[in-house]
Amino acid sequence: MDKDCAHEEGGEMDDDSVNSQLLRLMARHAKLTDLLHAHHLIGGYDIIKTRQGKGVCVSLATSYDGVYLDTYNMEIDLTAPLRISRHNIPTFIPLNSLAEQSNLQTNIRAFLDTLSQHLNAFVGRKQQLKLVKELHESVEVMESNALCSILVLLLTVPEEKTAVLCKLHYTDHTRCLPTRVDIDCEDEQLPGSSQWKKNCTLFKETPVHKALSTIRQAGIIL
Amino acid sequence: MNDNMKQVSVLEAQVQALQAEIAALQGQQDNNINIELRGRMQDALLALSGKQRGEGSRGLEIVASLRAEVEELEEDLNRQTQINGITLTSCTTKTLQNNESGLQQYCVKGHCSQMFFQLEFQVSEVKKEQSCERTITDLNIVMDTGDLQDFSSWLSGVEENRDLLLFFRTLRRFSDRCDDRCRTFQHFQEKYPTVVSLPGGCWSEIMTLHHPQLPGCVLLVHWSVQVSKEGEVTPKIDLLPKIPQTALQLDSARTLEGAPAAFQSLLRLLGTEAALESTIMSVSTST
Repeated sequence: MDKDCAHEEGGEMDDDSVNSQLLRLMARHAKLTDLLHAHHLIGGYDIIKTRQGKGVCVSLATSYDGVYLDTYNMEIDLTAPLRISRHNIPTFIPLNSLAEQSNLQTNIRAFLDTLSQHLNAFVGRKQQLKLVKELHESVEVMESNALCSILVLLLTVPEEKTAVLCKLHYTDHTRCLPTRVDIDCEDEQLPGSSQWKKNCTLFKETPVHKALSTIRQAGIIL
Repeated sequence: MNDNMKQVSVLEAQVQALQAEIAALQGQQDNNINIELRGRMQDALLALSGKQRGEGSRGLEIVASLRAEVEELEEDLNRQTQINGITLTSCTTKTLQNNESGLQQYCVKGHCSQMFFQLEFQVSEVKKEQSCERTITDLNIVMDTGDLQDFSSWLSGVEENRDLLLFFRTLRRFSDRCDDRCRTFQHFQEKYPTVVSLPGGCWSEIMTLHHPQLPGCVLLVHWSVQVSKEGEVTPKIDLLPKIPQTALQLDSARTLEGAPAAFQSLLRLLGTEAALESTIMSVSTST
């Protein structure tokens, strides 16, 4: 009752202080919204609480070459011990062994960082394969797997239409570049030639679709 | 006639002034910021402009509910800051193009532990049949990298590839390794204050080990954190003896010469902390 009287009496003063509070809060609201959006854009984990604080849900964003690609989601039960409940991470990513390796129990962030590394590398390799198919129709993709850890390409040398088999092994699953490149050809001299040794090095240092562009532009393959 | 001419020139001047004003206003219009407000923010704006929604809506109620929402946002920001390991201090947005390929320019400032950054990047969102393709079309990173040469060259690679997400993933790992180093250096300095000193502070790459009885003999521990082109972060620790010529001549068993290689073996066998501890102890107890 007393409060109501006070409000009636201090009519105009209240409006001003209400307005200035509103302005301050609106400014703070806008700034916080912008900062949260920035966290999301820079690939943050967008952590949210679920089931009245009994769990958390995180999003793992991926990108390659500046393009935002798939986002993976995972729910972690905040039980003792922590447990991954639901997720849409592909089965060929060894989730449980990564959790053990990076101490999910003591350091959630280290686990998420490692998982994110694997996911981004996978998505990067997958995107490179997609670009090879789109940009290089003269190159035949003979073999690839779900994890995109192996890629076998059939290249054609222009002069005598010689077929060259190029095998890219991505044994380090945290990387987008191959660790080993094998060249096979009917012409036994070809793989050992300095040109093809250079091409091998190129494949190990440059994303496959870009390496193919370079080699094709130089006229070494069709 | 003269009066008419004067009037004409006055009117002409006015017309020119108005035209200039129109041009200026049109220029301003392009810089207008479009803000969409919903929910509590919309209530607040309406309250401010005197057009409250619904009957009996009182300013204080709107303040209270807006404050509650702001508190939720603060909590949310704290959670994101903690899990992402990145503190963002400001983010400004500018809409460059408002058509199908909505182009936004962002300026983000913040820090990851001790490393401060300022980024400017552009994001374009193109609506495709079933999804929305979001692309980073430009990226500029400003950081004080000091004499971290490989970090700087990695940074230019990241800008060229517009790999915003890789930047933050790697920055965090790099910062974590630097934090590890700082913690380890501080731990040893506190434990062995007569032998260990940190001439550049705990954030530097150098820890020196002095033999208490041999003033000229110093063992330098150089712990650098390297970044590869692809964003792989690897710590590299080397032991460098700085021994004056006279002492070297006394070292007939050549133990000092072999110290760097021996240290690398220790690292492989015992791991970082144990190898460092073992080295420090051998320096402080040797006569």
